[in-house]
Amino acid sequence: MLEHLGQKLIAHVSIGSFSFSFDLITIIMTWVVIALLVALALFLRRSLRQDTQEKPNRVQAFLDILIDLLQKQLTSSFASERLARELFPFISALFLFVLCSNWLSIIPYMESPTKDLNVTISLALLVFVMSQVFAIRMKGGMRYLRGFVEPYAFMLPLNVVGELARPVSHAFRLFGNIFGGSILITVVSVKFAPVIVPAGLNIYYGLFSGGVQAFVFAILAVAYINVAVES
Amino acid sequence: MLQQAQTVTSQISGADIATAAKYLAAGICMGIGAIGPAIGEGLAAAHALDGMARQPEMEGALLRTMVLGQAITESTGIYSLVVAIVLLFVM
Repeated sequence: MLEHLGQKLIAHVSIGSFSFSFDLITIIMTWVVIALLVALALFLRRSLRQDTQEKPNRVQAFLDILIDLLQKQLTSSFASERLARELFPFISALFLFVLCSNWLSIIPYMESPTKDLNVTISLALLVFVMSQVFAIRMKGGMRYLRGFVEPYAFMLPLNVVGELARPVSHAFRLFGNIFGGSILITVVSVKFAPVIVPAGLNIYYGLFSGGVQAFVFAILAVAYINVAVES
Repeated sequence: MLQQAQTVTSQISGADIATAAKYLAAGICMGIGAIGPAIGEGLAAAHALDGMARQPEMEGALLRTMVLGQAITESTGIYSLVVAIVLLFVM
């Protein structure tokens, strides 16, 4: 098992003069996460009622509490009420996807898609594009461009690099945490302690650290969008 | 004795030295890289505890901000982890 730690199942596809490489395991696991989320949504939707005359059943009450909690945690960190209303679905979808990806590794024969740098970089780029789009929309094109030469014109390269460094650190934080945890679990369970200990490590790195990192990822996305919109 | 030492040195190739340097570099990278985040996270936890002891009703907000700050502080440690992983598995 240790020999396969750095190896991956790679598919090479070449279209014309371009050649692409795909990590098949990551793609499959990403689809597993998507399928899980969609199946859960379709299953839970059946027990939701629109009319409030009846007493809400258990599933609806639980979902109400969950959404309420997410909304309370996230809305307080947004800059404005309007931003919170517009971005809450995006941020909570991001949070649920990252959470499910991180928690997938505790199921045997499953791997976290977030273990792959490509997944976390694409998620971070998504947040980056969202923050730039919202900055242009909220501030207008001229004010957005002027933000780069403030406070002084010679600060322009610094501002651009600072803007570009955000998605990099955003992606590497999630990737490093999940990948480091998975390597530690594999090394310990293969080399030192094959029984009981890996279960505890999985609970810490899979459930606890995965949950915290998913929350941090969502909160940082909120913070980056806030900074881009405000400054 | 001298002859023995000479045969030993001749058995060590450049690739062996490179491998040894790789492991050594990964260890040093992780060891030194963990110092900064450890101190930073400890400071964050200490001050959050101070705040919680002074104002127990602020515990929820303090805990959230502390975990967030620690996760950001951790990123330099994570960078050194990534470098160590690259040294071990990629190079």
